[in-house]
Formats: sequence, C-alpha cells, structure tokens
Amino acid sequence: MRNLLQKVALVIVLLAAAASVGCGRPFDIKTPSEMLELKDQDPPFAYRAMTPDGVVVAMRVVDDDRADLGFWEHAVTLRIRELAGYSLLHESDVTSHDGTKGKELVFGHDENGKPYVYKVRVFVAQGRVFVLEAGGAKPQMDRYTPVVDWTMNSVKVTCRALLSPVFASRTCNRW
Amino acid sequence: MRRVLVAITLIAGVAACGGAQSMSPPSSPSMAAAPPPPPPSPAMGGKPGGQPWASVLAKTTPGTPAGPASAPHVAMMLIYTAHLTLAVFQVEAGLDSVEALARSVGGYLSNRTDTQVTIRVPRARFDEALGSVEKHGDVLHRDVTAEDVTDEYADLDVRLKNARAMRDRLQQLLQNAAVKEAIDIEKELGRVTEDIERMEGKLKLLSDQIAFSTITVTFQPIDQNPVHDLARLPLPWLKDLGLAELLNVKEATP
Repeated sequence: MRNLLQKVALVIVLLAAAASVGCGRPFDIKTPSEMLELKDQDPPFAYRAMTPDGVVVAMRVVDDDRADLGFWEHAVTLRIRELAGYSLLHESDVTSHDGTKGKELVFGHDENGKPYVYKVRVFVAQGRVFVLEAGGAKPQMDRYTPVVDWTMNSVKVTCRALLSPVFASRTCNRW
Repeated sequence: MRRVLVAITLIAGVAACGGAQSMSPPSSPSMAAAPPPPPPSPAMGGKPGGQPWASVLAKTTPGTPAGPASAPHVAMMLIYTAHLTLAVFQVEAGLDSVEALARSVGGYLSNRTDTQVTIRVPRARFDEALGSVEKHGDVLHRDVTAEDVTDEYADLDVRLKNARAMRDRLQQLLQNAAVKEAIDIEKELGRVTEDIERMEGKLKLLSDQIAFSTITVTFQPIDQNPVHDLARLPLPWLKDLGLAELLNVKEATP
C-alpha cells in the first residue's frame, strides 16, 4: 500500500513538473494542408505558416497583463492606421475556438503599387496579448480566404479542459 | 488742351476712389462674373450635423440668420475648398474613381499625380461630391474651408464698372482731341484698359472659384516623421506590426 502511494505521488510530481516547465506555446493553432508551418522563427513570432505563394499567418504572444482588449484594440488600430497609413476596411468581434472574445481588424495597404490585405485578431488571456496576423497580396488573400479564416478560427488561447487548473497552467500546450 | 487735361484728371480721380462709392445695382450683361449658384445645403444630400463640415456650411449658408432680423440680405460669395487625406490602399483605383466622380457631378479634373488628385465640382453639388469621395477610402484627415470673398468681389465689381466708365469717357474725349492731347489721352486709355483687363481676369477667377469648389484627395504615404502630434505607446511589438514584418519570413537554419 505504501509502495502504491509512493508511485502515485511520483506520477503526480512528474506531471506537475512537466506542466510547470512548459514545452510548447501558450496557445493552440491548426495548420491547414495548404500551408507550411515555419520553424525557428524569431520572436516575437510564436507561430508562422505560409502558403507557397506568400500568404502568411502568424501569432505573436506578448506578456503584458496591464490592459484589456479594448485598450489593445485601440492601440493596434492607431498604430497601423494612423502611423503606417493603412486603410481600415473592416472591424468586428470574433471569438477564438475556446470561446475567448477578441477583435478582428482588416486593413488594406498598397505595397509597391499593389494592394495587400492585412488581418489582425487580438485576444487577451492568461495575462498575455495574443496578436494573430494574416497578410498577403490581395489576389492571393482573396483566393486563400477560406484557408486563412479556418486557420485563424482554430486558435485556442485558453484551455477549458477539466484538468488544466489542476496543473497550474491555463495554457493549451503545456500539459 | 487745359480743359482736356482737367477732364482726364477729374475722371482719374473719380475712378481711383470708385471702390468707396455706392453704385447702382450690377446690370452689365458683359460682366464676366455671373451670380454664382446657391451654396450647398443639407437638402442637397448632406447630412446636417452628421458630417464635420456641416457646421461650416451652416455658418455660411445664405439665409442663415447671422445678425438682427432687420439686417439687409447680402448674397455671400464663398469659395469652398476641401482637402481629404486617405489611407494608402488601391491608390490607382481610388484616383480613377475620384476623377470619374468629378465628371459625374458636372465637374472636371484639375490636377493628378501618383498619389494626389484635385477635382473641381459645381458648388451646388460640393456636399454630395464630398460625401461620395469619403466612400472611396478610409479618411484619415479632413479639412473643409469656406472663404468669404463677398467684400473682395463687390469691391472689384465696382472698380471695374468705374474703370469702364472712365474708358468710355476717354474714348469720347479722344474723338475731339488735337494730336498732342490725343497722345496723352491714349496713354491714359492704355493704362485704364490694362486695369480693366486685369480686373476682369481677377473677377473671372473669383467667379470660377465660387462656382466650382475644389476637392483635393491625397493618399497619404507612410509617415516617416519621427516626431508625431500624438505620443505613441513605447512598445516595440506594436511598432513592428504590419505587412513588412509579417511577410519578411526568416529562413530556418539547418
């Protein structure tokens, strides 16, 4: 009996250690077959994938628990629209795959005389800011809209699993 | 000879202070400046109170009470000018559509570069045209002005009438003048004619500016100025947002 208790305790300790160390991203995202996930990308990109013809989806994770979604949405809009001169085409409320509320901003901008589309989704969870981006030349973005949307909609920034609080981690890939 | 010189002096004196005289109502059909059409009003498609320039229009629209009820009604001569700055997206298409808009409202293209287009539209359709231009893109900045040139217009109109009257009088004198007198009269006639042409040109320009409002649309390039009107959040990740950073994909090291 004592031996069994020791084994159970050991398993718990090992699981807890694995959870606390963390070996993945603090979010989950699915890469569609039309895109290739790129490895060894420099921070702040925690994830980046692209199609053969240059449409890129990427996630930045910023450790900052000082403000809420409204603040970050406003900051991102100002930065991109007024400083970089991007045209704000559309903004809407979105929800991540795990149910976290976020904002989507769709911008347009000409690069070398050609129109490009740049989508940004912002989520706030885990004391972090998740900035999900997608962009590319407008014809390609139009063609890949279902793929890009599918990828962006697959994102989880919190885990609703029953055991996640037990392992002291609210992230999706650390347990 | 003396009488002629006295006559020229008197006519010149009258013309010089003509701007201060009260004149009969303008009736000359040859006047280059026809009374301009009424200025834009909310009834012409504008959104009263809903657009930033609505207050400008409200202040300058003739008929808007601006003083005591007994004040005489004076038709205001206003030059409307608008500058819109749009975000850079599909610039070529945007420039084309603004140009097409000018033609559709009875206006014309005044100037066009790679990033800017200036159109002139009939004043009566200025409000409508401005609203349409705003639909062609994301408006970052908007500046609408209404310059009141009523005094300048009226003054120029009176001075022109006086100058024409002087020219007519000099021409009459010239018919009966001796050779030496004729030389002096022709000299004066030349100066007056020159004045008339200059004033007619100015009046024509003013009338054109009143009759056709100017709308300039600029597609703003990326702001390279390190000093901005507003403080920016000092967060590097915010600064790095955008297509350049996103699409600049790093090749993985083997």
